[in-house]
Amino acid sequence: MATEDSTGDQLGRSAALRLQQLKGQLFEVALVAATLVGIVSLLVLFAYISVDAFRPGTASPAWFLVYLGTLVAPTAAFTLYARRRPAVRTANAVAFAAVFGGLLLSAVTYAVVDALSPYDVFIYGVFASLPPMLVLAYDRTTEGQAYTGPLILVSILVGIGVAAVVDGPISGPLGIAAEWIMYFGLVTVPAALLVGTLTASRRGRRTGAVAGGAVAAGGLAVAGASIATGANASLLVVLFSAFVVPTGYVVRRSVRTNPAGRVGLAGPFVLLGGALLGAALVERFGIETPDTFLTPTLVLESWDGLTASNAGVYPQIVGSIIIVGFMAVLAFPVGIGAAIYLEEYAPNSGFRGRLATLLEVNISNLAGVPSVVYGLLGLALFRRTLGFGTGIVVSASGTLGLLILPIVIVSTQEALRSVPDDLRQGSYGMGASRWQTLREVVLPEAIPGTLTGTILALARAIGETAPLVIIAVATTTYSPPSGLFSSATALPLQIFAASANAKPEFRHGVVPAAAVVLLTLMLLMNATAIVIRNKYGRET
Amino acid sequence: MSESDSSPKIQTTIETGDEASRDAPLDARDTVIETRDLNVYYGDEQALDGVSMEIFEHDVTALIGPSGCGKSTFLRCINRMNDMIEVCRVEGDVEFGGKNVYDDDVDPVALRRKIGIVFQKPNPFPKSIRDNVAYGLKIQGYEGDVDERVEESLKAAALWDEVKDQLDSSGLDLSGGQQQRLCIARAIAPDPEVILMDEPTSALDPVAASKIEDLIDDLAEEYTVIIVTHNMQQAARISDRTAVFLTGGRLVEYDDTTKIFEDPEEQRVEDYITGKFG
Repeated sequence: MATEDSTGDQLGRSAALRLQQLKGQLFEVALVAATLVGIVSLLVLFAYISVDAFRPGTASPAWFLVYLGTLVAPTAAFTLYARRRPAVRTANAVAFAAVFGGLLLSAVTYAVVDALSPYDVFIYGVFASLPPMLVLAYDRTTEGQAYTGPLILVSILVGIGVAAVVDGPISGPLGIAAEWIMYFGLVTVPAALLVGTLTASRRGRRTGAVAGGAVAAGGLAVAGASIATGANASLLVVLFSAFVVPTGYVVRRSVRTNPAGRVGLAGPFVLLGGALLGAALVERFGIETPDTFLTPTLVLESWDGLTASNAGVYPQIVGSIIIVGFMAVLAFPVGIGAAIYLEEYAPNSGFRGRLATLLEVNISNLAGVPSVVYGLLGLALFRRTLGFGTGIVVSASGTLGLLILPIVIVSTQEALRSVPDDLRQGSYGMGASRWQTLREVVLPEAIPGTLTGTILALARAIGETAPLVIIAVATTTYSPPSGLFSSATALPLQIFAASANAKPEFRHGVVPAAAVVLLTLMLLMNATAIVIRNKYGRET
Repeated sequence: MSESDSSPKIQTTIETGDEASRDAPLDARDTVIETRDLNVYYGDEQALDGVSMEIFEHDVTALIGPSGCGKSTFLRCINRMNDMIEVCRVEGDVEFGGKNVYDDDVDPVALRRKIGIVFQKPNPFPKSIRDNVAYGLKIQGYEGDVDERVEESLKAAALWDEVKDQLDSSGLDLSGGQQQRLCIARAIAPDPEVILMDEPTSALDPVAASKIEDLIDDLAEEYTVIIVTHNMQQAARISDRTAVFLTGGRLVEYDDTTKIFEDPEEQRVEDYITGKFG
């Protein structure tokens, strides 16, 4: 009889309970499967194009063994070792970010400046940075300058305007100077100033000046040595300033602040050293390498539509970077500004409130407009109305900028909305104006979310093809764009064009290899977004 | 009158704060804030109904009453925090230092620099402890020694000894009670004249709350404190004068705290204080 059961007996697992649990478990399995669909399809996609691009089947077993021993095994062992020790893991992550971030920064800086002509970039750089520095210096010497911020902005714009006028007359005489001097001014000087200020803020002005001076002297020494040996002085100066210096600084800081994790700093060097050692062994013993399409030629050379092994997408990569970079300059201020207005300033009621609501609804609509239609808009706006040349950087950047504008606005709005209202109230309660509240409290809190959203928008833009086709961007160019008004091409367009090439080694080799490059660019951007988000997330 | 005369003494177990030191005769005290016939509406709903009261310098004035009685609304009217609510409409005068704060030529930003506020939920900024306290100084362009002022304010908020070695760590790393004292330090750093407190201890544990209560007592030496509280014992302990708001946004009784708790004029106030409703 049921009444004779003690309470303890009723705690067992009854059939009804078991059935309920089974339902729950099945539901969980279904959810896990749904989650895995995304990651699995990404992996399959990546594997599919990577196999075509890399052609691992053509490599000899010895080749695999060599790299397994020099690259894969040591790196895996090191990663496993670092994983268990938080301090080591932190240092490892820092070192990886510094080394690969620095290499990437150097490569992009050199490629872009080289394409746009170092002399022109130098002139623009000087005219855009000297006026704000003068304004700042004036601000330091006098007190109570309320308009320093706007003045800096205006001075930059005026400086760029002046540079546009004087660029022609100056760049001729400037051409007498060696090219590396331009890179020294563009990269080494800012790096020296940065290291100097950072060091000064921690360890006093004297040490800061010494550190900054050391960076500048190092840059000169590198230039001198490379001229003496006949190496590319410009590239080496950039590598020194944007790779060696930041890596050195970060490593030093890490040793100082996280001495327990010192070993972790070796992580990226284990990886790079392994790759170099492997290459040396393969070379030394004449081991058969895979007949891959992922070669230095692909990323460093210009296009060749006849011989697949000679085809490179360097102009396309640089074109993509310049287009997307200029697009960011155009779209981010507008998008972030619009989001700040809609979230922080626009009233909820009255005529302006209704207007703001209408705007918000239509921004969502805008986000759903097919990209081909944006191409039509770009064609009408830049080619027809403004009369710009066909397929130039400005038109491409402008069109893609319009395309990502709603994404930037929406993600910035989300970031602003996630700032607790308590903080705004607290700031207003302290007698802060709306502007002060925004600048001191709301925006710093919203930066990580905003950056994440905007960098994801960049990643979206770098893969866009359809709007560029519509505004008649060339599918193939043989040199990177030389300026904002010169014609350019982008990597996805070249992939699209090459996929129609008559030769199968283009369709099944160069296309997937270029796709791997494009995906790598995109993943690098996403990784940057994550790094930035984590960094800011930790500080607050 | 006849009603209250006949009512027995109540709440004798509640300690009333030692007002003796501050308890000057009423007419000798300076009025800091005076409201006249203050009506506040949220849209169509009336939140305050004809509130007229005077608040005296260096007093701790407690505002008590059941939820929704308008005491927080009254508090936020004083430094115009209600401006932020679009549907809020204010009629009547709130005079601070002889000037109606709702006059067109009064800048709410300037007003809030004179009348600081501490909120119910501790809301330190996600900045270092130092930057939290220095926030008001920074936005007001303080020219003196910021570090010195930060130290003074943290000492005044009875937090200095606990945080002096970690001024650069985030204000969010502190415990709830410490965060609230940080918010008080932040509010007093720019040296306001009045500090408004909107249920400052209701989100805190009893120990942290009693620390804040001790602190409020000290603050009254230098500042005028107006505190909204749900906790009647707290009002009785720390305030010099108590205003009782009852439903409908009406100020029912406003007098010396001792009088309110021991011998209120109004039967409804007595009922509220003895816990018959509210």
